[in-house]
Amino acid sequence: MITAPQLEIAVLLLGMAILMFEAFATRVDKRVLAFAAIVGLALILIASFFVSPTPSPDRATGLWNFYTADKLSVFFKQFALLTTIFVLIMMIDYAPVVRASFPGTTDGLGEFFSVPIFTCVGLMYLVSAVDFIFIFVSLELVTVSFYVLVSFTRKNPVTLEAGVKYLVLSALSTAFLVYGIAWIFGATGQTNLQRITEALANPNTDHSAALLGVVLVLVALGFKIAAVPFQIWVPDVYQGAPTPVTAYLSVGSKAAGFVVLLRVLRPFVTLPQMQRLLVLIALLTLIYGNLAALPQGNLKRLLAYSSIAHSGYLLIGVVCLDGNAVVFYLAAYFLMTLLSFAVLVIVAQQTGEQISDFDGLAKRSPFLAFAMLIGMVSLAGVPFTAGFLGKFFIFYAAILQRQIALVVIGVITVGCGFYYYLKVVRAMYWQPANKAEDIPISGLSRLAISALIAATIWLGVYPQPILNMLKR
Amino acid sequence: MPPLLFWVFALLMLIFGVAVVVNRNPVASALSLVVSFLGLAALFMSLDAYFVGIIQVLVYAGAVMVLFLFIIMLLNLPAEERRQINWLAAAGGIGVALILLVQICAVIGHFQAAHQTLPPLPRSTTDDVWNIGALLFSNYNLPFQIIGVLVLVATIGVVLLSRREPR
Repeated sequence: MITAPQLEIAVLLLGMAILMFEAFATRVDKRVLAFAAIVGLALILIASFFVSPTPSPDRATGLWNFYTADKLSVFFKQFALLTTIFVLIMMIDYAPVVRASFPGTTDGLGEFFSVPIFTCVGLMYLVSAVDFIFIFVSLELVTVSFYVLVSFTRKNPVTLEAGVKYLVLSALSTAFLVYGIAWIFGATGQTNLQRITEALANPNTDHSAALLGVVLVLVALGFKIAAVPFQIWVPDVYQGAPTPVTAYLSVGSKAAGFVVLLRVLRPFVTLPQMQRLLVLIALLTLIYGNLAALPQGNLKRLLAYSSIAHSGYLLIGVVCLDGNAVVFYLAAYFLMTLLSFAVLVIVAQQTGEQISDFDGLAKRSPFLAFAMLIGMVSLAGVPFTAGFLGKFFIFYAAILQRQIALVVIGVITVGCGFYYYLKVVRAMYWQPANKAEDIPISGLSRLAISALIAATIWLGVYPQPILNMLKR
Repeated sequence: MPPLLFWVFALLMLIFGVAVVVNRNPVASALSLVVSFLGLAALFMSLDAYFVGIIQVLVYAGAVMVLFLFIIMLLNLPAEERRQINWLAAAGGIGVALILLVQICAVIGHFQAAHQTLPPLPRSTTDDVWNIGALLFSNYNLPFQIIGVLVLVATIGVVLLSRREPR
């Protein structure tokens, strides 16, 4: 029988094996490493379905002090593995760009394929973390590996700027996290989330000190999930980072951030002050993300603002404490965002990242244009796509909780979203093409994109499998 | 430790911490950071955390800062140019920081534990190093090992991002 901690160890060993192979097998085409990593991760993904979710014992000792293997964490371990697999597929397509930034050597590419595996380990630990010490350590593992990945093609000044910005602002947010943890520890004397909840039930515990701590932790997590007012870094970093890394940041990092947010806020979210604060953050995030996305001409930047906007919808779910709605939305967001980025990686190498570079894509590559169409209409929330049902469950939860302001602003901003997502669709289908030649797609990418299209539509029409998985 | 010494070291830390940011000369900034670290080490020692205090001096004030100074001098970094300060943004930043300060002071004002003298800790029969080591390798073994992975990733990153191109 496989237990959950073995999954991370397997991924860790895979990462080290690939790194060692990279170091000693100098003559091999480095893309072999990526294929090996994809196969290895896929095997671990299959193995993860045989893990039985076991909640950690009540009076936990040793490993179970820090680690839980409940169904939420197992689901998100699979989520992290799948994200990493898709990111690696994108990275294979992106390899020429990386190679160009390390001229004269074959170096760099092997590390480009192996660092995401360690990020994946960090994400998998993070979604299982139930202790602030462990949350901090695994969050740092994720962040440090993203420092490397974001500034990977450092020859490009835009990438370098993104790398420095991410490093400085992320370090600042870590400082807030540690300060917040110190306050919570000072008020409750515990770092384990379960025991913090118990300590808070004790009337002798100072609630205002614990609340200050949680708000400081919220600052750090707000940075990770790109919530307003901690979103300043998002557009520049998303635009400057290598495109597969941007996809990884916007899906993996954000999903893990939300899982931690759900776990950390659980003891506090019913307090009226916390409710007001979260509603305010959700409203600001919705309005800012959607309005700022309107004038964007660069697709990567547009997706960055759209990522902020989607954080707003997810935060509505967090305010209503509806974990299942949040998880379903994240699953839908995973599909449609990866779909858009997968097309973007391929098209950007042929023409560019501007929306005008997508002019007439339907003529040049009907397949890619259709994939982008599905991605965009799902991000906008058109019925019969995963994005629509995600938004539906979120708004339904908000209506049940009588959060009328959130629902009204949410629906208005969805309308905004239609404008800027369909701008891309218009460019692809109604604008004349600048160039005529076809865009080549590798077989693996075609397979991955087809799978994402199918899953986006399938989840939009028949969401029962995911819902059952969450209820179980 | 008498409260007077706490205030002396805390003020020392804060003043030199500000000096790190304000100084235009990188060497002066680095040296201010050393003094700030020494103040922090003294505060750790006043809490009977001798091991942490000594590590703070040895590793941070010693090794890390010497490395900083070496790099600054080897690169021969010039003093930072005088920048145009955006006073509106600066005022906004100071305003937010002040609000946070007031908030923290208010919470400390309510915080019961901050107003009473706690009984001294029982004298430990083992030394600090033993205590920390035992904790790291028993209860906190899992986070400790993940830090190992973190350091591995950081090493890969440093080697990769700082390498020079072959000519």
